[in-house]
Amino acid sequence: MDLKKLLRKIDEFKIITLPAIFIVFILFVLILGFYFFNALPAIERYGIDLFITNVWKAAEEPAKEVYGLAAPIWGSIYTATIAVLIALPLSICYAIFVNDYAPKKLKYPLIIISDIMAGLPTIIYGIWGAFILVPLLRDHIMKFLYEHFSFIPLFDYPPLSGYCYLSAGILLGIMVTPFAAAIIREAYAMIPSVYKEGLVALGATRYETTKVLIKYIKPAIISGLILAFGRALGETVAVSLVIGNSFNLTYKLFAPGYTISSLIANQFGNAVLYEYMTSVLYSAGLVLFVVGLIVNIIGLYYLKRWREHVSH
Amino acid sequence: MSPIKHKTIRMIKDKIFLFIVGALTLLAILPLFHIIISIIEKGLPIVLERGLTFITGTLSEGGIGPAIVGTLMLTALATIIGLPLAFLAGAYAYEFPNSFIGRATKMLLQIMLEFPTILVGTFVMGILVIPMGTFSALAGALALALILTPYVAVYTEEAMAEIPRIYKEGGYALGCTRAQVIFKVITKMAKKGILTGILIGMAKVAGETAPLLFTAGGLYEVYPTNPLEPVGAIPLLIYTLVQSPSIEDHQIAWGASLIMLIIFLAIFIPIRYSLKDDIKL
Amino acid sequence: MTKIKMETKNLNLWYGEKQALFDINLPIYEKKITALIGPSGCGKSTFLRCLNRLNDLIPNVRIEGEVLLDGKNIYDKDVDVYELRKRVGMVFQKPNPFAMSIYDNVAFGPRIHGIKDKKELDKIVEWALKKAALWDEVKDELHKNALSLSGGQQQRLCIARAIAVKPEVLLMDEPTSALDPISTLKIEELMVELAKDYTIVVVTHNMQQASRVSDYTAFFLMGKLIEFGETEQIFLNPQKKETDDYISGRFG
Repeated sequence: MDLKKLLRKIDEFKIITLPAIFIVFILFVLILGFYFFNALPAIERYGIDLFITNVWKAAEEPAKEVYGLAAPIWGSIYTATIAVLIALPLSICYAIFVNDYAPKKLKYPLIIISDIMAGLPTIIYGIWGAFILVPLLRDHIMKFLYEHFSFIPLFDYPPLSGYCYLSAGILLGIMVTPFAAAIIREAYAMIPSVYKEGLVALGATRYETTKVLIKYIKPAIISGLILAFGRALGETVAVSLVIGNSFNLTYKLFAPGYTISSLIANQFGNAVLYEYMTSVLYSAGLVLFVVGLIVNIIGLYYLKRWREHVSH
Repeated sequence: MSPIKHKTIRMIKDKIFLFIVGALTLLAILPLFHIIISIIEKGLPIVLERGLTFITGTLSEGGIGPAIVGTLMLTALATIIGLPLAFLAGAYAYEFPNSFIGRATKMLLQIMLEFPTILVGTFVMGILVIPMGTFSALAGALALALILTPYVAVYTEEAMAEIPRIYKEGGYALGCTRAQVIFKVITKMAKKGILTGILIGMAKVAGETAPLLFTAGGLYEVYPTNPLEPVGAIPLLIYTLVQSPSIEDHQIAWGASLIMLIIFLAIFIPIRYSLKDDIKL
Repeated sequence: MTKIKMETKNLNLWYGEKQALFDINLPIYEKKITALIGPSGCGKSTFLRCLNRLNDLIPNVRIEGEVLLDGKNIYDKDVDVYELRKRVGMVFQKPNPFAMSIYDNVAFGPRIHGIKDKKELDKIVEWALKKAALWDEVKDELHKNALSLSGGQQQRLCIARAIAVKPEVLLMDEPTSALDPISTLKIEELMVELAKDYTIVVVTHNMQQASRVSDYTAFFLMGKLIEFGETEQIFLNPQKKETDDYISGRFG
């Protein structure tokens, strides 16, 4: 009898679910710890230089190995920034068009098309980027800019292959636009209709109405773009197929480069041949981990705060 | 300025605005059509030329059969590993939305959702591939499971949260325990949403490349049989072939992309249409 | 002699398949307050939104019949709907100030309608805020965000915003339902004051409010106009049984 009572008090639900929660937490800590400990040898050996210099000397003798990750770190941030600059106007316009202008018949197809783009396997973007987009950009845009505007330093690197920062940034922009667009569109649809009606009732045109309404969702736009930035940072295969994969610490758009993730994808396979390279790549991974974590936490926090603000 | 002229300027601004918004929306979705057309244009000839061999043959026979089976195997294994974890974590986050652990779980799942997938691959390489001394389907599936889990967990939590409270109260009123209420009543009612999450998660991991780079190994000349041995996958094969200098490899990559696109769209579009009513407008 | 400012003729309205308004014929007299009363869902708000074509925003709405403003049908093809909404202003149930300063809220309408001169805008803002009995409370903080005002102040700001474009008709959709009694009283006083210059149509749930402020009252039930007349007559001597039932509180 007493045993039965005792058993009733125990919450089976917690007994079943808590181990799962425990595993999820442990995994997260394990991954973080794993990257940290594996990064340690390289960090101890090269110190801060590992992150602020641009060198890549692999040698069979460990004493001659020198690595600095400045170029891929810069490349990740640079390409993700280009991507966000492209996603910004596209995703906002998409949100406005779908909510305010698109005829009813077009709304669902537009939303579904955008969702397909957000979920499309990245390797599909990769093959299209490598074989179609890059030659297209090189022949029609980069060559033109190089020939006529190379007095602007951004454009003065000869676009030989077309595999470069700009190509990676544009491809990433195409990939993250639907992601940011979904967040912004949903936020735009959540603006209470009284605000729109208030504007319309004053005789405002659609343009004037939208101009005011868009201000209401500024926090959602910012968080959408921050999350898009985070996603662009982490993208690997599509980028590694179009960025050119070379250590180039430059802002020149037509220069080939590296990002952290494409560096890992490219070098990890042969890193075991060297004493320190694996640890260096784990250090690069750690940087990506931490930066991505910070960016995503900020983005998610903003978005959550905005949603709570609106639903009240 | 005369009122008439001011009015004309406003109307012109309105038209220009509509034009810009429409044009940029078109520009945002245009790549999808370009991608689909390119893949059909480049991939269809090779698939038609080789016919069934392309689907069932090994790479030297001119087909991607082992890769297709590898993808199915990896996806199935990843689901088996990740699903219980995901479902339980999602149920917990649903049941305790305000407790510290509940909130932390949800936050963690959302962060893991955005976690760079390449890092999952190199992590699994370190903890599984190196100790085992070989790439394996198991390692690939574990990496994919780590990506699948937050997807399915977040969908589970959201699907459960949609169920009105009265059902939960009704369950308790009948004297059910918490576990009975959640695993019997709520899970049954949220079935559609949870299944959708599982399917979307599976579609997502089936298309992943980066986590497989240093875990699955690749296997394209024979069909995989043992989960402890290396395995291939369609996205991984495409990635390898795109980097090859040979034109013939590129053709196979396009053909494989076409197969993959068809599989993806065939899963994704019906799911998305079934969720049509959930879209907020 | 009271002049008819607006008038509806055989106005019918459908939401998709469902008919929401049936053959409404209602005159709205110039510089008078007309109250629209009736139980929830009777079509009074829908009717109000026909008067400035705000229903245009809702998909699947179909309208038949005429709405005349100074004798001209506002649903005619050649009508400039932006100009119409400038002439027929509106105040909503829930205060909806825009996320900008108090000044910019009031100046928003005049600005889009072409007034650029700073001095003129200042004058209009001051005038509108005085008319809305808000000037004394906010004159020192015109550049504060409007969302920081109290609910009652926000609603008076919305009234100021509506009258700043100098409309001829002011539509008010349950303007006090979200407010406390003191703010409500202030808004009611304001309505009577505004009726000296404007034609006002007010939808209200509150029958005391209708009897206190309005000159004419229209009673709606299930999409039909049951009775229309001078407020005193409607409340003291209703002609229809349904009206009597409603105002004496037997239903609704």
